[in-house]
Amino acid sequence: MGKQKQVNKPDVWISRRDFMGAAAAAAALTIVPRHVLGGPRNIPPSEKLNIAGVGIGGRGAGDLDEVSGENIVALCDVDDKYAANTFKHYPNAAKYRDFRVMLDKQKNIDAVIVATPDHTHAVVAMAAIEMGKHVYCEKPLAHSIYEVRRLTEAARQAKVATQLGNQGQASEGTRLVCEFIWDGAIGPVREVHSWCNRPISPRGIERPKDTPPVPEGLDWDLWLGPAPQRPYHPSYHPFSWRGWWDFGSGVLGDIGCHQFVGIFRALKLGYPTSVEACSSGVNPETAPLASIVRYDFPARESMPALKLTWYDGGLMPARPQELEDGLRFGDADDNLFVGDKGKILGHRLLPEARSTEYGKPPKVLPRSPGHHKEWIAACKGGEPAGSNFDVAGPLTEVVLLGNVALRMGQQLYEKGLKLYYDGPGMKVTNLPEANKYIRSEYREGWTL
Amino acid sequence: MGKKTRRNEVSDGKLSRRDFMGAAAAVAAFTVVPRSVLGGSGQTPPSEKINIAGVGVGGQGGADLRELSSQNIVALCDVDWRHASACFKRYPNARQYKDFREMLDKEDKNIDGVVVGTPDHLHAPVSIAAMKRGKHVYCEKPLTHTVREARLMAETAREHKVATQMGNQGQAGEEVRLLCETIWDGAIGQVHEVHVWTDRPLNGINKVYWPQGVDRPKGEDPIPDSLNWDLWVGPAPMRPYVNRVYNPFVWRGWWDFGTGALGDIGCHSLDPVFRVLKLGYPTSVEACCTLVNDETYPVASRVTYEFPARGDLAPVTLHWYDGGMKPPRPPELEDGRRWDTNGALYIGEKGKMYGGRLLPESRQKEYGKPPQKLERSPGHYMEWVIACKGGKPAGSNFPDHAGLLAQVVLMGNIAIRPALKDKLLGTKLLWDAKEFKFTNMPEANQYLTKEYREGWSL
Repeated sequence: MGKQKQVNKPDVWISRRDFMGAAAAAAALTIVPRHVLGGPRNIPPSEKLNIAGVGIGGRGAGDLDEVSGENIVALCDVDDKYAANTFKHYPNAAKYRDFRVMLDKQKNIDAVIVATPDHTHAVVAMAAIEMGKHVYCEKPLAHSIYEVRRLTEAARQAKVATQLGNQGQASEGTRLVCEFIWDGAIGPVREVHSWCNRPISPRGIERPKDTPPVPEGLDWDLWLGPAPQRPYHPSYHPFSWRGWWDFGSGVLGDIGCHQFVGIFRALKLGYPTSVEACSSGVNPETAPLASIVRYDFPARESMPALKLTWYDGGLMPARPQELEDGLRFGDADDNLFVGDKGKILGHRLLPEARSTEYGKPPKVLPRSPGHHKEWIAACKGGEPAGSNFDVAGPLTEVVLLGNVALRMGQQLYEKGLKLYYDGPGMKVTNLPEANKYIRSEYREGWTL
Repeated sequence: MGKKTRRNEVSDGKLSRRDFMGAAAAVAAFTVVPRSVLGGSGQTPPSEKINIAGVGVGGQGGADLRELSSQNIVALCDVDWRHASACFKRYPNARQYKDFREMLDKEDKNIDGVVVGTPDHLHAPVSIAAMKRGKHVYCEKPLTHTVREARLMAETAREHKVATQMGNQGQAGEEVRLLCETIWDGAIGQVHEVHVWTDRPLNGINKVYWPQGVDRPKGEDPIPDSLNWDLWVGPAPMRPYVNRVYNPFVWRGWWDFGTGALGDIGCHSLDPVFRVLKLGYPTSVEACCTLVNDETYPVASRVTYEFPARGDLAPVTLHWYDGGMKPPRPPELEDGRRWDTNGALYIGEKGKMYGGRLLPESRQKEYGKPPQKLERSPGHYMEWVIACKGGKPAGSNFPDHAGLLAQVVLMGNIAIRPALKDKLLGTKLLWDAKEFKFTNMPEANQYLTKEYREGWSL
């Protein structure tokens, strides 16, 4: 986050809010001791967390719902109108437009939920972590591999409780997959296919040329954050930013952190050794309409090397022979695990007869109280959440590496190469130009 | 078609063509083989030129005629005389027509063979009309617009004993012969998996040859004076003319007129797979694709065919990819070698072939060349000319080869039909070759054929 507090426009609206109302918040300031440099305060389970939400018009509102048993003390959004419903829903929360102002002014915040577009995850989450706030961040953890790595390290150092918004990690299905595979139900797994039929927002398009006025109530400069300056257009906000490379991470970034989490956990994946990608056409502006990304992972412990294939835009693997006629091979999204001795679709053994015969694997993993509850418990001194950044960081790095391969597709093709990757070193080893996509340049005034 | 003799006809045909071709003895043979051997038509003796008419000559049809310009080009037909003007100029003595039916009527006595280079939806109406008059036919790929039409083309060609050839020139090349000879030599063992791909409709990284995944435009434009739109639409349902949306060339993306990337390229690049693996009909077809509507083919797709064992040959899974999708780069492919935008990968029990070469390259170097078993071709177009003059059937003639190939290619498009999508999530399409139908989804069978506009039945 920018250490400098300079904002291009005077934040009159925010100051008025502070001035006007938050009596409760003001009171809280006087009684809660702050440990700004000393990490988060100790909060006993009996006490409620003070939570702030940043980016609350879309998915953030859903996250706040999930934690509404705690105190929602502050809400921040760059777009008044988009955030209006959420503002109304929490009338006692102080309202802000600039997260920097919020973190600076409102001292009673224990934890922050970050649900902005991808390109501002890192600056918001980092500012919060550096102030010792616990962080729940929507997926993907950040917009570039470099940002993800920095967040992971910072969270570890600050000892804050973290959770990525890939709620499927807390599910029964994810645990079942692990238990099936660890029990040897399908033998050693050498191949996994994962797919999602999105996109929903436009892909494969060029930057719009018209420049409609910025809608009232939207701080476009703040929305852009560290991304390169460009004129406002409704093609970016709200929601449609996912397809734009400067702001989003394509379908892979949107959904990959959900779908890969069970695969990573069950197969104990770390960094891949190589990645390749093909697509329906990549341009410098937007993610493709459809793509296939293929990762090669080395052998781990007793597990053999693994090929993980991602498909989006409606593409999927061929229907497995073991899937009986009449049973749907879901095009929305699913994972197919191919082992030496069998297959798992989603978290179901194929074919049905095999599933019936096998029954349930031994329960070796603890069940989750719920994804958001995990984080709340961790904030109050409990166990780290299932998708804390030590877990979610490497996962997101791998997801985003797929986009590096996609964006380097033409160069890789011309040179006749896959992309070889040094995970710990965070660099592409056989095509140095690719590294520009591992760490993106920030606009002036923004640093991490 | 699909008889057990087909396989032998393909390979034996080439062997006997070697006897027939090239050597002095073979030339002598021409003089003693009565040209009536092949039946009622094709009576032109080898020493004479055949009289050719072209239908659809503005695009690839014009290019085909250039390849045949050693023969007499006697008539040219195109529904758009402006689009055809360059071709018309090249053959000033050829009589010009807009309607192929009128041409066939008036030129019946003058024409030996017809070259069909129209859009896909007109291939069968033009070709079948010509064959029924005993004309030899060279038809561009894909052979037809529907599976049923492709079968009918093969049947009609056989019934009328005319010489035929589909426009998949690669079949005459050295590459496909080397591929066959290498694999038949056992260089990669039994082949059980093949991947074939094209980037079309993509043209480079971020352009397209023609749009797919789009909807029908609203409105209409005035029909250019040079164009007979009614004839261009032909057997398809009538729709308003719109500039540059359908013709020229970009009709390929529309369900009513074209056959998408699979139809455009499949008859080229799946041809070697059929030859080398002696494929017949598949037992199943299954596919996935990007968003698709009832107007245009999707931006990208993957189609998977399962073929049963054939004699001693193992069952084969054939994966087709288009729109930029590819199979995974094989680990045997050395760094620095391109994994091409269009390609084929054969996976056998004992090795892999890519781009017609064994992988890795060191393996190819070690292997060298296979024993030459197949007759080499005098050229794709000359094969047809020779067949028209009573010689051996051409390598991609309809009854023995192209009819089946086109049927199988076009089946892939049924598996991406939007109306079937929901049901197809629950099953593959299972094909019964004897009954000529899909057995597990009756509603899929309607797409084996189509409705013809009034006046246009086959």
